[in-house]
Amino acid sequence: MSITLKALLKSPWVFHLSTGSCNNCDIEILDCLTPRFDVERFGMLLAGSIRHADVLLVTGSANRKCIPRIKQVYQQMPKPCVVVAIGECSLSRGMFIHSYNCPLPVDKIIPVDVYIPGCPPKPEAIIAGVVKLIEKLSAKPEKK
Amino acid sequence: MIYLIYLIIFGFFLTALIGLFASWVDRKVTARVQYRVGPPVLQPLIDLVKLLGKETMVPKGASKFSFLAAPLLGLGSVILVSTILWFNCLNPQRTFIGDIIVVVYLLVLPSLSIIIGGFASANPLASIGSSREMKLVLSYELPFLLAILVPVIQGGFTLRLGEIITYQVQNGIILGSWSGFLAFLVILMCVQAKLALVPFDIPEAETEIVGGPLIEYSGTPLAVYKLMKNMLLFVLPFFIMILFMGGFRLSGAHWINGILKYLGLVALITVIRNTNPRVRIDQAMRFFWGPMTILAMMAVFLALKGL
Amino acid sequence: MNRSDILKDIGERFKGEILEVFDKSPKRVYIEIKPQALVVIATYVFKNLGARFNIASGLDTHKHIEILYHFTFDEINFLISFRVKLLKNKLEIDSLAPIFEGANWIEREICEMLGVNFKGHPELKRLLLPDEWPQGVYPLRRDYKEWDDSSIRDRGL
Repeated sequence: MSITLKALLKSPWVFHLSTGSCNNCDIEILDCLTPRFDVERFGMLLAGSIRHADVLLVTGSANRKCIPRIKQVYQQMPKPCVVVAIGECSLSRGMFIHSYNCPLPVDKIIPVDVYIPGCPPKPEAIIAGVVKLIEKLSAKPEKK
Repeated sequence: MIYLIYLIIFGFFLTALIGLFASWVDRKVTARVQYRVGPPVLQPLIDLVKLLGKETMVPKGASKFSFLAAPLLGLGSVILVSTILWFNCLNPQRTFIGDIIVVVYLLVLPSLSIIIGGFASANPLASIGSSREMKLVLSYELPFLLAILVPVIQGGFTLRLGEIITYQVQNGIILGSWSGFLAFLVILMCVQAKLALVPFDIPEAETEIVGGPLIEYSGTPLAVYKLMKNMLLFVLPFFIMILFMGGFRLSGAHWINGILKYLGLVALITVIRNTNPRVRIDQAMRFFWGPMTILAMMAVFLALKGL
Repeated sequence: MNRSDILKDIGERFKGEILEVFDKSPKRVYIEIKPQALVVIATYVFKNLGARFNIASGLDTHKHIEILYHFTFDEINFLISFRVKLLKNKLEIDSLAPIFEGANWIEREICEMLGVNFKGHPELKRLLLPDEWPQGVYPLRRDYKEWDDSSIRDRGL
């Protein structure tokens, strides 16, 4: 694995995108950055701009108005990048599956690498999911 | 001159190494103060290597030349300043008249490169960040220059860094005198603003609010900016050390003294960073043109009196 | 003014327009009124009795489309909901937006979600639905059918 890829796994900067969520998952993500669960020891920092970010955390079921914006945010991210879908609403829209305003799940809009279920998932679950992603990527010889 | 090229490599690599280490110390102390474990030792270096591997995107409508050349301008000026400072520190006799003015001029260039970079990206948020940076530079340059006048006066109205160092070797450090102490307080605040650390990080580190002037940067230019900021974290305390604390002498056991002085300054900057909230731009301007300028003028007056 | 005074006052003044009073609990009362009397009653409650217009809600029962206007009396912790029943072939009612600005956006939302026309509203355009939503399709009605062929409605299991 190339050295820049190894460096990417050791210092992932996260950007958080909420596509119409109830904000419970957003609060749990914010919880991960607080001193109790401290993800800075893995090198993770919260990036303010999408162009600084390596990991895109998506929460919320995608509204109709939000779908072109999700695509634009994904295009603005410098590749190589990783997309993480957090919470039931972004995996499969959860209880909003028959809603008139949520036609597609997030992984039909942008390619998703990690799915973290839960409503909302606990911070331990979010950290475990990201660690599993890092292990999976470092074990695989080829990467997109 | 071969000696100069040698010193540039020595001035670039050694400065980068010490700067990255100082940035790690800053992050680790901040983490410990907030009762959490911080990042591992190589984290700033890993950040840089990762950024070199990402693709560089130039936004549509941005002026490509200034967008890509602004980081190099900042990095080049920091390397030059570091070379001059190391050269003066290790050979105080071989300085030239006015090198302190050259250093002060070159130290404006990193802030200028961030301003140019912010305006070159075609983004309104970056323009807001750049205009705030301009206001900040306008406000802290005045007390910065006044505070530098104090070692100049005490060294006998000299404009050579080497003579200031030799004056301190003979007569004790400038920090010990009244005027030196006041000027040290002023220049510490100005350095905090120059490094864009809390409480004066309004323009740049607004990652919690907007992206600041660096919002459109990605990949290699961003890595150059981060390297420039980390190297400034070494160069500016080193400059304060030369002016007020006697520099970094390699003779005898004085180099331990130098390392302790540097780490003490970094610790002081970190403590100020962790215990203060962020101020607004108008509060910062009022702070620098009000109390700090008056304090600096008092220090110059005391220095002229001979204290 | 306490609760019973308010109810007696409204009951006497608008005796011809009130169809039914449902006293649910000490804090809530539902009063059904005729659609023609809405503006008069709302103006009286807002201006003379000093109530606050809280929100309006709309719902589609199988026979009518009902709109409820909720007014609160904050000092005495009391909420009156005025219910208006509209027939499905004549979905029109006078707008309350010229009287108080708080009704402006909620009437736009009821119009796009249920298809009720508010006469006299200054600017009755879309509020929440996206631009590519077809005209004439009202999502919160009971007979709403899925019009989008590209939407995915099964979990793929």
